[in-house]
Amino acid sequence: MQPDFTYFGRMHPRRVTICPILFASCCLLSSARLVLQAPRPRDVKASAEKIPRQSDLRFAELRKNLPARGVVGYWGDSALTPPAVGAYYLTQYALAPLVVERSLKHPLVVGNFPDSAAPPVPANLRLVKDFGDGVFLFAAEDAR
Amino acid sequence: MLVIVAALLCLGSGFLTVRLGWRAVSPSLASILLQLSLAVGFGLGIFSIVFLAVGVSVLKLSLADLLVFFCLLAFYVVFRRSVPPESKQDALPVTDSWCLRLLTAVFAIASACAIYAAIMRALAHPHGDGWDAFAIWNLHARFLFLAGPNWREGFSPLIPWSHPDYPLLIPAVIAHFWTLLGHESQVVPAAVGLLFTFSTAGVLTSSLHILRGRAAALLGGLALLCTPAFIEIGTWQYADIPLSFFFLGAASLLCLHEKGQGHRQNNSGLLVLAGLSAAFATWTKNEGLLFFCSLIAARVIVLFRDKRKSHESPGHRESRQDRFLPFLLGAIPVLLVVLYFKRTVAPPNELFTDANHTLHKLLSGARYWAVIQWFVKQFFRFGHWLWIPITLVMVGYYFAIGSENRSLPSRQGRILRLTLLFTLAGYFVIYLNTPYEIYWHLRFSLNRLFLQLWPTAIFLFSLAVSPHGKRHTASQLGAE
Repeated sequence: MQPDFTYFGRMHPRRVTICPILFASCCLLSSARLVLQAPRPRDVKASAEKIPRQSDLRFAELRKNLPARGVVGYWGDSALTPPAVGAYYLTQYALAPLVVERSLKHPLVVGNFPDSAAPPVPANLRLVKDFGDGVFLFAAEDAR
Repeated sequence: MLVIVAALLCLGSGFLTVRLGWRAVSPSLASILLQLSLAVGFGLGIFSIVFLAVGVSVLKLSLADLLVFFCLLAFYVVFRRSVPPESKQDALPVTDSWCLRLLTAVFAIASACAIYAAIMRALAHPHGDGWDAFAIWNLHARFLFLAGPNWREGFSPLIPWSHPDYPLLIPAVIAHFWTLLGHESQVVPAAVGLLFTFSTAGVLTSSLHILRGRAAALLGGLALLCTPAFIEIGTWQYADIPLSFFFLGAASLLCLHEKGQGHRQNNSGLLVLAGLSAAFATWTKNEGLLFFCSLIAARVIVLFRDKRKSHESPGHRESRQDRFLPFLLGAIPVLLVVLYFKRTVAPPNELFTDANHTLHKLLSGARYWAVIQWFVKQFFRFGHWLWIPITLVMVGYYFAIGSENRSLPSRQGRILRLTLLFTLAGYFVIYLNTPYEIYWHLRFSLNRLFLQLWPTAIFLFSLAVSPHGKRHTASQLGAE
């Protein structure tokens, strides 16, 4: 029959007492990282407004000029870089439940250029309204 | 007010579900904490399905919430009449040594740090801190909430990279509470993220406390709460932490069932709950399906092997652990919902659309080398630890305590180890076959896949390195 064990009692070899303490010490190091990298209270408000500023607030005026549902096109930076893809996602997030397709083949096309001036407008697009801050609404003349 | 009542009904529904399956486990503080922690995830899972069934009518949704709660309450009242008094025989002896007191203090500090960091992150990033929250989960929740009967439009392949085939537990539960609120509030997804994060820690510590005692619970809890990436991803509102919750829930319930079997207690309700937890994983994210299939496959293999051995031994008799029907009974209702979603709403998964090149990719040595390199690298880095990776600490601890202080894996332990291995192997093959640029895919997702398995891995590790009150052999733990 095996002997009874009780955690960290006198029956344990010393290393079974030391090991948990070393284990816990190593863990606590990472707790320090968690606290040090946590947002500071003074930065919380500005940080919390970042996504709404880039999505809901930025597209609020445009939203009023779009149908309640359906599919609209999207014209933005066509590169698949993180900022360009992020800008598209934030547009889709703001305009849901409208579906925003990265295509110009829709009667209404949202233009989104948050970080740069819009390039020359494609021939099939006609500007309907410039909402400022790089947000545009176009009508496509050869839309499906 | 309505939302507070709904939140209580949600927790109550989860708690009653857990209590329905809860038999013959010691009525300790750890047992209550485990039930409450499981109740959070189960309640949210149930409410996600209620939303999908009822839709965005506040009145109907409120009535459905009440109906679900009172149905569960009625079942519970009827069921409890036949339940024998709970046994206290499982309580393990605890020695309140200075070392244990020190560990308790360290655990309290680590918990406080994790709670502080999580709350500050949730306040600073109420929309999540990363793309998945607004590009997938909260976007899907917006479609469910705002599009009414046309919510399926949001799961269109026209929206690239939004994973329209991902299941709906998280989006639907968010939409449920938004509907009751009458407007969107980022408090809801942020709270869901926090609840799953800390409920996972609750399940881990309390189940370890029941199975191995306080020291194992404290060490396991420390390993999880001191993993910065676990807290960060949890507050980023990604689905990987809820998924890890359900993986761990299934694993811990299976081990608790086995422990009860060791004492000849009829606790097949725990198997039902384990099945429910594994099925909720499939309703949370596609990786849940892989875990579920891995668990079934691992169980079949281990049981087959054990049966062959026991047939060869004299005095063979069938073990009650061989029963798997309760597990499937618990899983089937949620699996049917997943099946309905996959068949009627979800487009094909983008990872399997490039079948023409599959063979070529699977025969490419360079791809194997790339995935192996990243698996090894992430083993040390996925937790975002400071200086010393806890994975390394765990390996060191395992060898340092000596073989005399380790436990042999029980049958359930062997099944769960094999399950994790199969799941990891599945991840490996998915990366080999990915249609994306392989390094990009590994870089942006592998750490999260490891985090999905991390709480369960800590759980199994803690079982292995903690001796019982009386040291158990594999046969004593139910492999007879």
